[in-house]
Amino acid sequence: MFNLTAVMETPLGVAGITIGSLLFFTLILVIGVLIARIVSINVRRALSERLPANERELFTKLVYYGIVILAFLAALPQLSVDLSGLLVAGGIAGIVIGFASQSVISNLISGLFLMFERPIRIGDNINVSDVTGSVEDIRVLSTVIKTFDGIYIRIPNEKVFTSNITNYVHNVARRFAYLISIRYQDDADLAIRIAKEVIETHPFALRNPSPSVFVDNLGDDGVNLTVYIWAPARNWWEVRTDLLWKIKKALEENGIEIPFPQRTVWFPERLEVEQRPAVEEK
Amino acid sequence: MFGRYKGTFRRESGEILVEVEEDDGLLTYRRRCGGDKFERILVATMAEVIINPVEPVNLPKDITNFLMIEFPPVMIEPGASRTVYLKFPVEFGVFVESARDIEVVDIFAPTTQKYTLYGTPNRGLIARWYGSEVYAEIPEVDLYREGVMEFTITNTYREWVEVSRAVFRSVDMKIYYGDFVASTATMRVVGPNIAETDFIDAPPRPGMVKSIELYTARKISALSRGYLMEWGLS
Repeated sequence: MFNLTAVMETPLGVAGITIGSLLFFTLILVIGVLIARIVSINVRRALSERLPANERELFTKLVYYGIVILAFLAALPQLSVDLSGLLVAGGIAGIVIGFASQSVISNLISGLFLMFERPIRIGDNINVSDVTGSVEDIRVLSTVIKTFDGIYIRIPNEKVFTSNITNYVHNVARRFAYLISIRYQDDADLAIRIAKEVIETHPFALRNPSPSVFVDNLGDDGVNLTVYIWAPARNWWEVRTDLLWKIKKALEENGIEIPFPQRTVWFPERLEVEQRPAVEEK
Repeated sequence: MFGRYKGTFRRESGEILVEVEEDDGLLTYRRRCGGDKFERILVATMAEVIINPVEPVNLPKDITNFLMIEFPPVMIEPGASRTVYLKFPVEFGVFVESARDIEVVDIFAPTTQKYTLYGTPNRGLIARWYGSEVYAEIPEVDLYREGVMEFTITNTYREWVEVSRAVFRSVDMKIYYGDFVASTATMRVVGPNIAETDFIDAPPRPGMVKSIELYTARKISALSRGYLMEWGLS
């Protein structure tokens, strides 16, 4: 007949651990993970309207891993591990591990600073350490960036924290510029007016700060106009890609053209064109 | 065109066409506005389609919750309060409602849109911009293009203040419709460059129908009411 008590008390031969204690250890861990998952899901849901995604995810992770660690510590006595002994051993091990895991600690601390200083947030378009893309996740040890080509890049937080960070969407609005050349015989005032009219039609070319179009310099091949446009930081690229061609078409519709490169060559001696006899007809 | 419709229907006004037709046994919502078209198949048994004006901050796409109305400068003496009328843009919201839920199907407008920055690039906000004159009485408007905002300005500051723009949080906006689209708003000037704006849940004329708000249909909870304009009033 199957004796459950006997089976549970069967020693495994390692530090007095029985099948029962191993099962209890596993059970406590599983229950801990389940509780952590349920609590973190509810925490995420409760904070969804109150905290930005970045802070919300960090807090949720802290809650999740906190409960899992508590469950692990609660389960350890089942494996006959004396926690008081662990504290002493932990102190010594901590020093050893501390030296060994300097970079891990450095990344951890940098990660915490990144989360508090908040130079970047999840979803921001940034450039850091020559990597340009959008922030997918800010983890405890690393920051994950998805480049605009869709490539996954993991950067250690220490590197992110100590590098120059360019956040393209930190401000609500940003400016971009076009350089447009027109021929010398074209009316620059008319070109400026047409460009402004085209910009005015775009919803996201901001009314204030107002766009600026002016003659910037007199170039080798034509008159160079500079166009400055402000747009919402998260939509500036679509405005930039949309407007340039529309301005070009509007200018051409009004007889204003983009000049080709040209060079006027002066000869000190008068050039004579030699009249060659026509090729005889065969 | 505004109202509730059951089953198939067709409403046309100028360049706007909204209809629900049955095509090959499938209920299809179809909309045309200018050159823009939109279509959705509706799988529903008892659905009602609701068309009403919504908060005008959704087109060409949803990037902000703020509406700025700019108007000719108004000088207000200390302690004075006056109700004037402004115009604001109208956007059409189309909802499908069943016994259990309501959902946005389509948002469109026959007008163009323009956005602006209120404040500084690093600390300001993007707002839908609209220019209006200041009217002493309810002005004539095209029902499908512009609405009338009953706007009460109160100067609680000790000095004369010049005001030429009002920024509103759109989630507070209450819109009514009838012969015209309307909303009621207030501005309380509290400093030379600071004012509080808010909407009042009351139509300027009795008998108007209240619109379903987008933020209600989208189940977005508004955490705060009103908006504190702190980047200048003109």
